[in-house]
Amino acid sequence: MDRNQLAKWFQAPTKMAHKYSLHAVYFCTGCGIIEVPPVITARWDAERFGVIPTATPRHANLFLITGYVSVKTLRAIIRTYEQMPEPKFTVGFGSCPINGGMYWDSYNTIKHLDRYIPVDGWIAGCMPRPEAIFVAVTHLWTLIDKDMADGYKRYRTNYAAYRANQERALGELEWPPLFPMERGR
Amino acid sequence: MNGPLRTKLDSIFRDVETELADDDRLTVCVPKDSVVPVLSFLRGEGCDYLQLVSCVDWTERGELELVYVLSSYTGEANPPGAARANVLVKTGLPRTHPSLPTSIGVFPSAEPYERELHELFGVRFEGHPRLTPLFLEREYEVPPFRKDFDTRQYVEDHFGSIPPVEEGS
Repeated sequence: MDRNQLAKWFQAPTKMAHKYSLHAVYFCTGCGIIEVPPVITARWDAERFGVIPTATPRHANLFLITGYVSVKTLRAIIRTYEQMPEPKFTVGFGSCPINGGMYWDSYNTIKHLDRYIPVDGWIAGCMPRPEAIFVAVTHLWTLIDKDMADGYKRYRTNYAAYRANQERALGELEWPPLFPMERGR
Repeated sequence: MNGPLRTKLDSIFRDVETELADDDRLTVCVPKDSVVPVLSFLRGEGCDYLQLVSCVDWTERGELELVYVLSSYTGEANPPGAARANVLVKTGLPRTHPSLPTSIGVFPSAEPYERELHELFGVRFEGHPRLTPLFLEREYEVPPFRKDFDTRQYVEDHFGSIPPVEEGS
């Protein structure tokens, strides 16, 4: 452990614990997932940064959206995101979740991921290198330190608006609202 | 080689047009009601593998063209040493309410392809057991793989109209 950070550990132990145990849900969308196996295995070894893939969203707190999101995948993404326990952090990976990327005029790909679920940070590029994931993770540490990675709180406060957008994209959702709908209107 | 196969096809089926390319690729153009008999015949002749069913939208001709790509696993259609040639079966359909009998009875592997074409091109396959959506989540007025589907307009109408939730997003 870095001795310089001892003060931080005593001041905000939960925050530090969240920072260094980012369990990423192993959810593959689009082509970006091809960068993730080298990141989590021996070559780049994300465990140095405390990032470990997890099989189930119930044990995860980091959600990497790796690549374009089709309308059908959006449904799975929302369900996965809502299952994750708080605090949870979302990172859009690659240019497609940001604004559609090369699928900007596709009939079946959603363009702006942050209109459907809250996103804490973006990694630009097509594809981003594995190093970019680590840059993003260190940025995420800074955001967690400063309480700026608050996507899950924004999801609570703006849930009605998010849910409305989700329903506009997907039609009638078959699961009940996660939070009371009257908040945030 | 596909030369003898071509001769046989020409002698058995009256309404087919065959064409043999230089690389031994046999193209068979059939009317839509003869698709299943021709496929069945070709399967009997050793073309036992349906590679894919595809569709081409010819707007200027005003028709959809279905393409069945057949080849051989066992090699009965092609003697040893010959190139493994493909047989293409093509049929034209009108662009409004296109429909033709399903070929699942001959090639069971046609099932997902026919579902896909039904969804993306709006081709109706009579006798298909489940023409349910395969990839898409929603209904499209024009099937999205047709040439007259305006993707940009569609994106503007459906995705561009969804407002940002928060400031700056």
